[in-house]
Amino acid sequence: MRLEKCWFCSSTIYPGHGMMYVRNDAKIFRFCRSKCHKNFKMKRNPRKVKWTKIYRKLHGKELPQDTTFELERKRNRPERYDRNVVEDTVKAMKKISETRVEREAQFWKNRMRGKKTQQRREDLAELQQGIHLVKAPTALLEEPSLTLPKEKMKVKVSVEQESKAMES
Amino acid sequence: FVQMRTKLNVADNSGAKIVGCIQAKARKIGGSIGDVIVASVKEAASGKKRIKKFEKESTKVKKGDVVRAVIVRARMQKGRRDGSHIRFDENAVVIINKEGEPVGTRVYGPVAAELRAKKFVKILSLADDV
Repeated sequence: MRLEKCWFCSSTIYPGHGMMYVRNDAKIFRFCRSKCHKNFKMKRNPRKVKWTKIYRKLHGKELPQDTTFELERKRNRPERYDRNVVEDTVKAMKKISETRVEREAQFWKNRMRGKKTQQRREDLAELQQGIHLVKAPTALLEEPSLTLPKEKMKVKVSVEQESKAMES
Repeated sequence: FVQMRTKLNVADNSGAKIVGCIQAKARKIGGSIGDVIVASVKEAASGKKRIKKFEKESTKVKKGDVVRAVIVRARMQKGRRDGSHIRFDENAVVIINKEGEPVGTRVYGPVAAELRAKKFVKILSLADDV
């Protein structure tokens, strides 16, 4: 029993799943599900299809190269069964997948760093441009307390309105 | 399914090029990879061309002959015991005689491993790929 990789999306194909297509030049394509198979039949290039692993790695969305990946090589020579070897292999597999997950998480963190502040800044700009959608411009003029915050991150329009009502 | 009238390519050098199924021997619904069919030769090699310097196109089988053949590649997917399915790009047969021995001496293209269970070992050994 062997766990193959889908040709299109690179996910593992477990036994009992998927389709194998043999081209006349004897090249074998394995697909994990009919979605990938159908995309292949449409002659789509997986490097351009956004949800495939290949695309993500190519466009820097996911960890492209790592030593943990190389440990998952395809080995064709069958090993003589040795209980200790099997035990060690299973332990190693666990450790490897743990480290891989950690590294991928770190990569994601690095990729997303600074995005939150940038998002906040963008939101603020949008607010300043589009405050008329939230509150009419004439209302803003009438009640000068309803000013937009300059550097503050939170927009306290409703709170100031409440305080105004309480004062009067 | 390969049924009556299905045209199949011939994947060996027996002389036939295209073969039309007359009857699928295995099942009523039709044949799939590994099944034997009875077919009529629709198109055959003329025997005048040379494939290689020392090899001429054989004419063991002529147009209009009724032959037996085993399906080695089929467009329709075949399920395997482990749950996977396999399908090929075309429908192809290898022409055999009554005993199950291939008539040609070479087999072209990849061939399904299903043939091993049906005891077509000679074809498997001649094939490029399984």
